[in-house]
Amino acid sequence: MRASSVTGSSSVQMEQSQVSGQEPEINWSSPPAGHFNEAYEDLNKPRSHWEYLLESINSLGFSGLEDRHKKASRILRDDGATYNLSVDPLSAKTWELDPIPMLIPSDDWVEIESGLIERTDLLNLILKDLYGPRDLIRQSIIPPEIIYGHPGFLRQCQGITVPGEHQLTMHAADMVRGPDGKIVIIGDRTQAPSGAGYALENRTVLSRVMPSIFRDSQVHRLALFFQTLRNTLSSLATETEDPQIVILTPGAYSETYFEHTYLSNYLGYPLVQGSDLTVRDGQVWLKSLNGLSKVDVILRRVDDIYCDPVELKSDSFLGIPGLVEVIRAGNVVVSNPIGSGILETPALLKYLPQISQHFFGRELTLPSVDTWWCGDKNDLAYVKANLDRLIIKPAMRQVDNPSVYGHLLTAAKKAEVLARIEKTPHLYVAQSYISPSYLPSWQDNQISSRPSIFRSFTVSNQANSQSTYSVMAGGLTRVGLSDSDTVVTNQAGSQSKDTWILASEPEKQVSLIEEHSGLKDLAHESNLPSRVVENLFWLGRYAERAESTLRLIRTIFMQLNGIEPLPEKCKKLLLQALSTQTNCLPGFMDKNLLENPDQELINIILDGNRPGSIKSSLLALLTSSEEVKEMLSADTHRIINDLRDHLYELERSFISGLPSAPEESLDPLVTTLLALSGLSHESMLRGVGWKFQEIGRRTERTLQTARLLQSLLTEALSGSQQQLILESVLLSVEALITFRRRYRAHTDVAHGLELLMLDATNPRSIFYQLERLKNHYMELPQANISLPSLSPGEKLLVKSLNDIQLADLERIAKSDPDANSRNLLNDLLDELTAQVEEFSTVLSDQYFDHQSGPQQLSSTQGVAFL
Amino acid sequence: MIYRIRHITKYNYSRAVSLCYNQAHLLPRDTDYQSCRKTQINITPKPAYMSQREDYFGNNYFYFSLQKSHKKLVIDVTTEIDTLPDRSSLNLDLGNSCLQARQLMEDANTPEIKEAREYLLDSPMIKASKGLQEYAQEVFDDNLPLLSAVRALTSKIFKEFKYDPASTTVATPLDEVLENKHGVCQDFAHLAIGCLRSLGFPARYVSGYLETLPPPGEVKLVGADASHAWFAVFSPGEGWFEFDPTNDNIPADQHITTAWGRDYSDVTPMRGVIFDGGNSQELSVSVDVQRIPD
Repeated sequence: MRASSVTGSSSVQMEQSQVSGQEPEINWSSPPAGHFNEAYEDLNKPRSHWEYLLESINSLGFSGLEDRHKKASRILRDDGATYNLSVDPLSAKTWELDPIPMLIPSDDWVEIESGLIERTDLLNLILKDLYGPRDLIRQSIIPPEIIYGHPGFLRQCQGITVPGEHQLTMHAADMVRGPDGKIVIIGDRTQAPSGAGYALENRTVLSRVMPSIFRDSQVHRLALFFQTLRNTLSSLATETEDPQIVILTPGAYSETYFEHTYLSNYLGYPLVQGSDLTVRDGQVWLKSLNGLSKVDVILRRVDDIYCDPVELKSDSFLGIPGLVEVIRAGNVVVSNPIGSGILETPALLKYLPQISQHFFGRELTLPSVDTWWCGDKNDLAYVKANLDRLIIKPAMRQVDNPSVYGHLLTAAKKAEVLARIEKTPHLYVAQSYISPSYLPSWQDNQISSRPSIFRSFTVSNQANSQSTYSVMAGGLTRVGLSDSDTVVTNQAGSQSKDTWILASEPEKQVSLIEEHSGLKDLAHESNLPSRVVENLFWLGRYAERAESTLRLIRTIFMQLNGIEPLPEKCKKLLLQALSTQTNCLPGFMDKNLLENPDQELINIILDGNRPGSIKSSLLALLTSSEEVKEMLSADTHRIINDLRDHLYELERSFISGLPSAPEESLDPLVTTLLALSGLSHESMLRGVGWKFQEIGRRTERTLQTARLLQSLLTEALSGSQQQLILESVLLSVEALITFRRRYRAHTDVAHGLELLMLDATNPRSIFYQLERLKNHYMELPQANISLPSLSPGEKLLVKSLNDIQLADLERIAKSDPDANSRNLLNDLLDELTAQVEEFSTVLSDQYFDHQSGPQQLSSTQGVAFL
Repeated sequence: MIYRIRHITKYNYSRAVSLCYNQAHLLPRDTDYQSCRKTQINITPKPAYMSQREDYFGNNYFYFSLQKSHKKLVIDVTTEIDTLPDRSSLNLDLGNSCLQARQLMEDANTPEIKEAREYLLDSPMIKASKGLQEYAQEVFDDNLPLLSAVRALTSKIFKEFKYDPASTTVATPLDEVLENKHGVCQDFAHLAIGCLRSLGFPARYVSGYLETLPPPGEVKLVGADASHAWFAVFSPGEGWFEFDPTNDNIPADQHITTAWGRDYSDVTPMRGVIFDGGNSQELSVSVDVQRIPD
């Protein structure tokens, strides 16, 4: 790339390869003074390891770059890569990936790598000491208060050890490159380090959108890191050759949930929540469809104190009651060990040099940021005198107590901060501010210079007899979204970058997916947590419920706006059927609403707080899909995203009342739901998960069809009105054309019922649903226990099938002459609905977990105290 | 003196409990003044899992879980303990002065003193405060021997606070106890600890039992005894010394120690988690401390 300095300003103009010349001129400013420039030695000269990439970007041109960026965003979205999914599932925040990677040359990397290994080794030794002899305190290497006063020092974990040399399995370190080009560590993550999965996803995506640049850059692969993690986790289960390893997640609303699902799939371990596990007989078990299966190793993403309400935070619902005792007994290994959060305390950074001297007889090669602990008198005096140049942080890492930048404080604020520190000095640290290096970043259609922070990961490698730590050859780089250089965090908004460690020669490719994909499916299939199948069941039910409501409401719109005016009687019947069908009652039972139906129709579509509305069914569907995210294919994620988008668009098109031809605005949702159902048929393995989804669909469709027939055809009407209602029924189940073609002159109710209830070739008939239900149900695990009689679930399905087959359609289609109503039909459908609802209950009792949440034992205090 | 202590804890649940996990600090530990001779634990229904361990503070505890549905749980613990004679002959006028004690704590020249600094810090149920410091200030003077000042604090609490089991619960904050001037042994122990920490002296919570004697001429009632609590203060270089603010005395051979920690939450007699069990639990405890002949 050729770059020339522009007179009078410090920006670099990039040459454009595009012929158009119409594109806006794109500049990127160099970093503010006092920051290291990662890509350029000076304005005109790229650093040598950046030359190739910058040239390639230059030949891509900016529209090319934006093109890659868009493609990357699309892939990320399709993969479901979110960060911090908030309570509203419609506002999922997609993970932002910058198409320009961070580059680290191989000689530079060698130093970082060995520095990180040394650091993890040290943290591992500290952890062992703190929950063991505590020589660091006894021998005055660290002050007692930074440990004893830390809520993350868990006395319950005293003496607990992980098999092998290493207590820490994983460690993540955040670092920045200071103005002098030297790397400085600014923080450590040890209890449940996040980001490794995002780093892998970044790599996967970027290597897809920039295949040739990636290939030719000789980038170190990441797969080895995960391979090592797998081997090490397996080695932690010392009792068995074939351990069951699970990933413990706090659930779909955890900030980094995507990563949990991603790692679950990549590593091939079931993703579980606390309530999926249970402690019995001194062991941890996974509540799976096949009953309880023993768990040997838990890779946890739940924070320390939430892991066990018996001994740790007593009101936690994210943990497993009794877990700590099982760990103590040595019957399960949790990695990283509970209690390792203590290593994250910033106060420790001050003492790392001394601790390193104590254990290794030398200081660490990679320095940490200068840190002052206010519990130390000299430090406190320094902090008071130099507040302007310092960042004040809680000595114990806490989310609700953010860092304070001294130079941004007013005099009054400053006094307030100092007063707070003086009150409990041991709870605060101060750190000097390191000006981060700047990286070129693709933001808002231009290349800008942005402050950067880099997180790397180490993993224990103890598969062979020797224990060492290995570093991921890459990591997660984040850049700020503005020129401001205050710390870059995910919460404050940042963009991530793939990080390329440039090899001096090409290396062999390793991927876990290729080697293990066959095995993975089998393992997943047999050990599906009950929660997962329950959500698949409901995913099926909600999808079907939303679809049938959409179809009915679409039919109603068409009839309301038809060429012929709709007879009052028919209008009432249709609208009331909608209220009954969606259970949005009283709804159109109210006369006033019948006269002015628009608002109620809109509500039934868009009021998310009203159970039965289209929006509420779709939101429930989205929630269920989040819970089983790791089970869904990329194509399914794409469809789920489409659903989300269409729902959003639908809301907008209804913003000022009913639009013209409102039925058309519903079409995209119907089509997407059909795509979802088609995909489930065409590309899901016929495993247990699929069967449950299918059972959900069939159950819901039976109920919906039965209710539709009941609410629209029970009342007998005269000639043309009856015809109109029958056609509406057929239209809303997509059977009108077949019906006309097949029965031509005999388009009466009896024939309609035949097609919708009994026809074994009609995939929407009740008979068809029931037969499918029976087949799937009989194939479920534990279903075919050879009892002499049928199981309760089977009985209900067989009886329902018989009821339909034995029904005399001619007879039940006739109305009771006194009441103008088809009482026999009504009774039959009542009975059928009750049976299928009961079947759903039986299935749920049989396969889903119904344990209520844990509660605390009352304490003995106050009962018998002197 | 040899005592047999029987501590029975009963839970009645309004509906059946399907699973429970419990940790019990009900086994006396060995100390310089007592040794445990025999222990018997009977749990009904029979636990599916049980273990006996030592905790961070060196206390004995047992852990058990039940997996069969039950509406009633009984934990019946009997221990025999040998207490050594009298510690009350301790001369409170010797040893560190308050000033010296504070200075030695600050210098922390030995591992033992370093470790005792843990008991200067706030703990889950006890936060140092200006109020506590001011309350205790009058009986402390830099030149006074530490132990006699602590003894004076013990008397002060005994005199100024009303013993009233109905007035507080496990959740009553220390500030409220200080303001209302009543509570039970646990509150008084917490109060004294809070005062001492606010003044810069390490203090810890001790749980246990106290032998009670019936009024002259009456027979001792079965189950009439109870759990008890008091505190200990650390004098650098000299060790830990116990005081009982509820009875205004220095624990001796009628005080039997179960466990110690930073406060009640470290040594809760029974803590645990149950599944199901309805909305109400009924808890009853009976304790007998009986002297037995050698």
